[in-house]
Amino acid sequence: MDRKIIWRIVIIVAVVATAVYALVARRLPLGLDLSGGIHLVLQVETDDAIKAELDDAALRLKTRAGEKGIALSEWSVDVGALKFQVAVPPNVDRDALRELIGDFLPEYDLDTGSESWSLAFKPNVESTIRDLAVRQALETIRNRVDQFGVAEPVIQRQGIESDRILVQLPGVDDPTRVKEIISHTAFLEWKEVIAGPAPSRDILLARTGGQVPSDSEIATEIRQDESGAVVGKDFYLLRKAAIVTGRDLRTARRGQGQFGEPVVNFYLVPAGGDKFAEFTGAHIGDPAAIVLDGNVISAPVIRSRIRDEGYIEGNFDIETAEDLALSLRAGALPASINYLEERTVGPSLGRDSIVHGVRAGVVGLILVVLFMIVYYKASGLNAVFALLLNVVILLGAMAYFGATLTLPGIAGIILTIGMAVDANVLIFERIREELAVGKTVRSAIDTGFSRAFGTILDSNLTTLIAALFLFQFGTGPVKGFAVTLSIGLLASMFTAVFVSRTLYMLLLASRDRVETLSV
Amino acid sequence: MRIIGETHIPFLSYRKTFVIGSAIVVGAGLVWLIAGLLNPAIPGLRFGIDFTGGTQVLAKFRDNPDLDRLRRSLAAVSPDAPVIQRYDEAEKNEVLIRVQNPSDEQADLTRPIIDRLMTEFNADVGRRFDLNTQGSQALTLLLADADPDGAAVSGADLEQHYAPMAEAVLNYRKDRGIFRSLDELASIPELSASARSAIRERATVGAFALLGVESVGPAVGADLKKAATLAIVLSLLGMLVYVWIRFQLPYGIGAVVALFHDVITTLTALMLTQREINLPTVAALLTLVGFSVNDTVVIFDRVRENLRLHRGERLEEIMDTSINQTLSRTIITSGTVLLVVLPLFLFGGEVINTFAFVLLVGLFIGCYSTVFIASPVALWISRLLGARRERRRARGRR
Repeated sequence: MDRKIIWRIVIIVAVVATAVYALVARRLPLGLDLSGGIHLVLQVETDDAIKAELDDAALRLKTRAGEKGIALSEWSVDVGALKFQVAVPPNVDRDALRELIGDFLPEYDLDTGSESWSLAFKPNVESTIRDLAVRQALETIRNRVDQFGVAEPVIQRQGIESDRILVQLPGVDDPTRVKEIISHTAFLEWKEVIAGPAPSRDILLARTGGQVPSDSEIATEIRQDESGAVVGKDFYLLRKAAIVTGRDLRTARRGQGQFGEPVVNFYLVPAGGDKFAEFTGAHIGDPAAIVLDGNVISAPVIRSRIRDEGYIEGNFDIETAEDLALSLRAGALPASINYLEERTVGPSLGRDSIVHGVRAGVVGLILVVLFMIVYYKASGLNAVFALLLNVVILLGAMAYFGATLTLPGIAGIILTIGMAVDANVLIFERIREELAVGKTVRSAIDTGFSRAFGTILDSNLTTLIAALFLFQFGTGPVKGFAVTLSIGLLASMFTAVFVSRTLYMLLLASRDRVETLSV
Repeated sequence: MRIIGETHIPFLSYRKTFVIGSAIVVGAGLVWLIAGLLNPAIPGLRFGIDFTGGTQVLAKFRDNPDLDRLRRSLAAVSPDAPVIQRYDEAEKNEVLIRVQNPSDEQADLTRPIIDRLMTEFNADVGRRFDLNTQGSQALTLLLADADPDGAAVSGADLEQHYAPMAEAVLNYRKDRGIFRSLDELASIPELSASARSAIRERATVGAFALLGVESVGPAVGADLKKAATLAIVLSLLGMLVYVWIRFQLPYGIGAVVALFHDVITTLTALMLTQREINLPTVAALLTLVGFSVNDTVVIFDRVRENLRLHRGERLEEIMDTSINQTLSRTIITSGTVLLVVLPLFLFGGEVINTFAFVLLVGLFIGCYSTVFIASPVALWISRLLGARRERRRARGRR
């Protein structure tokens, strides 16, 4: 046999073997729309983090000033203008306060007025805080997803400066719950109860003299009956400053209360334990409120001095107790979260899509194969062989590039089957024409391939242009479609031109004279 | 075998009839399209939630669902009335619920919709475990907590003991879509007898299961719309430039006019059938653009070759010859694509149906425009630019 033919066969076998190897070794993972799962784009409300920072700075300044004998009482926060304002009473030593601010809050620009001073972020501080909030949120969400145990999650920021986070969790069968776990701020605080519970705000305030003191706040607890239905609200007056918060937690676990009901056991770090022990020791017999994201979940009476471990009860069922413990372990989110986009595919819908897609593909493949064989006979067989190799190479290349198989991707494969024979048709039609004008088989094949090649290149390149833009601007499954289509087209040029040609060369080499060609 | 033998159809002599006819169709479609975009009262293009933003919940009901009851119970979720319609075959008891997001707000409507469905249809579930809405992890927890097998292990090991059973239960739901009664637990062999009765004791089957949820905020919707428009416009420009470089400007213009015709006519078909336009629809539209120009390029390629072979002949005759010579190829390749697109349209399932519809319609439209639009326009433009100069350049080119 000709050396040229042997080389061609070696190349074909190598390409196909690589494709098969890639397919076997790497597998072709199913996309979310086929495996079922959840795709979320969420936005971190970084304004929350800005507000928290301003609040915190104001509170720290007040405390520091108090230690130095400077009494600051009123302050207000303006998130939009990135500053907070402190009322400075006339009797305050302004130089001392200025010095204090200079030492203690170097990241703020001070603007002094006669009665009120304003402190604004220096340039860059804002973006640093926002960036940090997004990175912390990313970390927290990653922790929570890890704890929940999802295989191969995708959790990433959409762009470097962006406040959007992309979360993709394949195979999740309870998306509502996962969504809740991810977006739960889970900021836990223990607070001193000044008054309450009371059935309404007015009754509560009547007990405290009609006013909410400046160091206090009102919070509510939702009351539920046995079945979990909401039956009312209790009002509490709480001291604003928390005793300990979720930041003082070492860990948290679901446990059982004294009647076997689900509770969340918590364990504090030593520093938090000291604060907690001091408070509980001094307030035996008083209630303390456990506040989650601003809502009281329970307000048990302190029975003894507690140092570093205890439990939270709050009308939980097993699932909510487990989820709260998980969120507390993973840490609180630094800011609240909005869902911008959600696409959930239930597992049964995904399975349905696979069944339908595969059925349509198989029917289409059979039809094309039958047509080619009936219409072009032996040459049709040649095209069918090329087509099957094309599908194998396409799947292998997808596996190699780490693509996932999506429903539009399956459609892309099906479409490739239909379009891949285009190149063969162009060649065969050309060969027929050449035979019709009386050329020999050998020269008809030669001219057919060489003349058709330019056309094939041109026509496929235009489709590739469309696929390129689709890839550039598409998202998710649509991108998958663009990738499949592009790879399919490239593979079809290899199989229809190179592989088919080699098959003809084999045919021509096997006999001395070829009088007729079945095409 | 041969479907089309040698033909000598003078396609271009009918060009006025076809071009004028198509111009009327495209013009009418364009007017309709623009009117629909400007005035929401006119039923023009129906954009799906990918572009408008909104929330869509696909639920499968245990029994035949009462759509009016659904409508009533969901009325309060959003200021606009929710769209509630049957999905797929009626006996599957599947319902698609769609709610427009209140303008500009980033509200997540998924939760309120599901909560409403729960209160309306699952009032009897109470605190029992709902096999139709809860997941395998939660079921594992429930079993580990009850520990019906009395496994002498604790903590994580206990959960490991029950996890395969819970997954088997969920796999059953995956296959059937929904549990119709607790008796179906009997056909899950992975469950131990005691675990089965523990589930029966604590669980129930709710009235519905969620098959899928899609929610797109207005900001993302606007982004996607922009991206889709850019993709279509840029790929048309890309084709123009490519064909211009590979052939000549008149051919580039001819190809792109034909593509514009394809896009508008297919969109008109979508308006006529009031099918929804989502991201995959745009993908289908771009694919048909690629496919249609593919056909056109094959004909132009032949024209270029024939210009070299038959010097002195009129461009019109050369084009006719070229169309006739490639006619059987045009029909066969469109035919093979039809052979795969038709099963996709018929058996591909509901999710992919509009995608397949666009390809199916576009296939015929693309085939038509290749013959009756692209070449006449190219002919017309090249006459406009001076036929003689045109042919001299074509000869000079190799």
